[in-house]
Amino acid sequence: MSFFSEERSSELKDLFFESAAELLQALNDEGLKLEQRGADAEVVRETRRTVHTLKGDSAACGFDELSTLAHELEDVLTPEIAARSNGKLAEIVLQAADVFSAMLAAYRAGEPIPAPVSLRDQIRELVDKPQAKNIVPYKLSGHFAWTEYEQMAIQQALLRGQIVYNIALAIDPGCPMKAAAVQLVRNVLAETGEVLAVFPDSSVPPEQLDVIEFCLSSSQPAELIARKCRVPSLISDVLVEPHAAALAEQPRNHIVPTAESSDDSDDVLGLADTAADGGGIDASSAAQNSATGKLRVDADRIDAVLNLVGELVIGKSMLTQTLSEFEKRFVKDPLRVKFADAMAFQARVLNDLQKSVMKIRMVPVEQVFRRLPRIVRDVAKSCEKEVVLQISGEETDLDKTILDALSEPLSHLVRNAVDHGLETPAERLAAGKAAQGTIRLNAYHQGNQIVIECADDGRGIDSYKLVSKAVQNGIVSHDEAERLSDTEALQLVFHPGLSTAEQVTAISGRGVGMDVVRAVLDKLKGTVSIDSKPGIGTTFLLKVPLTLAIIKALMFRVADRLYAIPLASVVEIARASGSEVHRVDQHEVMQLREQVLTLIRLRQLVKPGPMLASKKIFVVVITLGDRKFGLIVDQLVGEEELVIKALDDDFVSTDLVSGASILGDGSVVLILNLSAVIARLGKAPELTEAVTA
Amino acid sequence: MEQFATLVRAKDNKPVRYLIVDDSIFARKNIAKMLESFGGTVVGEAGDGCTAITEYERLQPDLVLMDITMPQMEGIEAAERIVRQHAQAKIVMVSSVGYQENIVAALQKGARHFVQKPVKADVLYEVIRYVMGDEVLTPQGVGAGA
Repeated sequence: MSFFSEERSSELKDLFFESAAELLQALNDEGLKLEQRGADAEVVRETRRTVHTLKGDSAACGFDELSTLAHELEDVLTPEIAARSNGKLAEIVLQAADVFSAMLAAYRAGEPIPAPVSLRDQIRELVDKPQAKNIVPYKLSGHFAWTEYEQMAIQQALLRGQIVYNIALAIDPGCPMKAAAVQLVRNVLAETGEVLAVFPDSSVPPEQLDVIEFCLSSSQPAELIARKCRVPSLISDVLVEPHAAALAEQPRNHIVPTAESSDDSDDVLGLADTAADGGGIDASSAAQNSATGKLRVDADRIDAVLNLVGELVIGKSMLTQTLSEFEKRFVKDPLRVKFADAMAFQARVLNDLQKSVMKIRMVPVEQVFRRLPRIVRDVAKSCEKEVVLQISGEETDLDKTILDALSEPLSHLVRNAVDHGLETPAERLAAGKAAQGTIRLNAYHQGNQIVIECADDGRGIDSYKLVSKAVQNGIVSHDEAERLSDTEALQLVFHPGLSTAEQVTAISGRGVGMDVVRAVLDKLKGTVSIDSKPGIGTTFLLKVPLTLAIIKALMFRVADRLYAIPLASVVEIARASGSEVHRVDQHEVMQLREQVLTLIRLRQLVKPGPMLASKKIFVVVITLGDRKFGLIVDQLVGEEELVIKALDDDFVSTDLVSGASILGDGSVVLILNLSAVIARLGKAPELTEAVTA
Repeated sequence: MEQFATLVRAKDNKPVRYLIVDDSIFARKNIAKMLESFGGTVVGEAGDGCTAITEYERLQPDLVLMDITMPQMEGIEAAERIVRQHAQAKIVMVSSVGYQENIVAALQKGARHFVQKPVKADVLYEVIRYVMGDEVLTPQGVGAGA
């Protein structure tokens, strides 16, 4: 609204969008609870509070369409209506969450606000049945039943020697634009004095208003105010009376339920605050946050700190290197020990600093898990399945960037699980299972990685069907297909353009998606694997690094250049002699214990050409998803924590490198993007090692 | 057309000077006719928001009638810009009922009043009298027309 400066209000809007997203999430949760528990009065009240806050906040930001709708919704959120709505209310709440979210998106993008016609009709239907509108039509006598908070502001104004008026304005019933009328009246009053209180608050749809009451402190005489308020063709009647102190004593026989009135004062916070103590005008949510000791910080700022920490880490290894040279040169110098002590201390603090900064970026997985119940519910409903969702490990922390990126793949997996993974209740009963299917989501730490499991107890993936489909689509040849192991067959799920669902549904099964899941995980330097047992269920395991900013890496040299790969993907390092390498199908393979490894000569990345048959070679065995490969390198350098510096697209025209880092001695190491490297050099029928098995 | 008591400026007894902003020439002429029947002078017309701003600067009219939906710059933005430069500017928005949100926005941004399309002369007359307040007189001393 206009009492905020532009900058102030844009800041406020940012805050609003953030908190509104949380409110919508809460609304989704509550909608689901309503659906499960029916007319539980506590849940209804909780929902109502959420909607009320949303209403107040959006009104404060001037998002009238949203606040109006929120208000309408608020009206139907009573235990009585919930009781007789037969679950319709839960449906409306969930729909409203979607509509609100669409509205928010539109506000944010500055696009036209979608008109929530069908939702509005449904809400009306609920309200209209027994009682008339909630808005009490009253005569122009004026209630002037201000809330406690408002009365405080009134008292303050009186103490300052101002004249306080109670004003009631009857809006011309023939006025087709009441919202505009109300706004105009507000403008007029703001010119004559300071509005201390308004009833009903700004979120009541003006179309339902007959009378609007204000409390105004002003130095102007009553007649002038009355004249100003008599806006032609909009205001049919005006009542201006001085606010008697005695009125303040009146009991609050409010139309608004008392439980709510304290919240209501939020709506006039911007107005009343200045009168109350002249303190900072702040959005209610911001005030709440500071009260709980939380701070909203732009992610960019944290990234900047992280970047600096990264530089420090590089600085540390520079020092370490210098120290070791120093030690070599002055073996007996007593300063050496002091130097080493100081270094050790600094390293420890730096380590803590690094961890603390990382911790700031960490958010609980719950932030993404919380979105899933709604998805499960919607999908289950549309494909008529009964599903319980069990969530555990939601407190596990993960880097926010990674978590955000995982949101889509996870929703996709969950959607798939309900739509394809689980059988219909009838099928389940026939198979001797409970009619209700279960989807389990779990997250936990595993070393330097986070594992997220998405499991269903459905029919499992039919690998035979999968393979036949792959053959049919020409993804694998008939011969290859026959040699596929079950695990390998399951990998076909990630192949673009392959879906075993017999029917393509709107929810999933379009053959796009699983390949996207894998692409996202590749990008995150993570992996995805499947475990599926026919008739018992399917589990997807997503593994992602704790953070993207700093990785433990294995460094090696190829053709005199330094490269690194994430240590997490290294399984082991083996030595082999040239004679152990065999050629099969234009691919080099070697046998490592029971397994046949496809070998990749990284040297080819540097200068493609004939290979020198060296006697002894190093083979770094890596995993990518469920598959293992052997990278042939010239020389191993060691492990190191690398601070990843993103490479500018202008510098790098290849996707083979995912980043770079600077070592203590100033040398640059390139971090290889394993999936791209293997896609390039291991280009082969995907399942090469099976061919020779 | 109905007869309205002539409105003149209180400070110099001269006709009220109006600027009409609307992308439809028909709408402009229609409003101009009404304003003239109130004894005013239409000192300028503009077909879009940008022109409206320059015309306002040049003419310093007593009152602006501003359409909301216009090419190039919408009426709301034009009104906002004018009011930002001239806090005393009196702008009355003109729009159809369907654009209520826009009217509210315009009012929040400093427009003084609004009339809805199709504009009725008696409503416009009352609105002008209200917005101009003490700055206009009816020299005949006759009560206002409506």
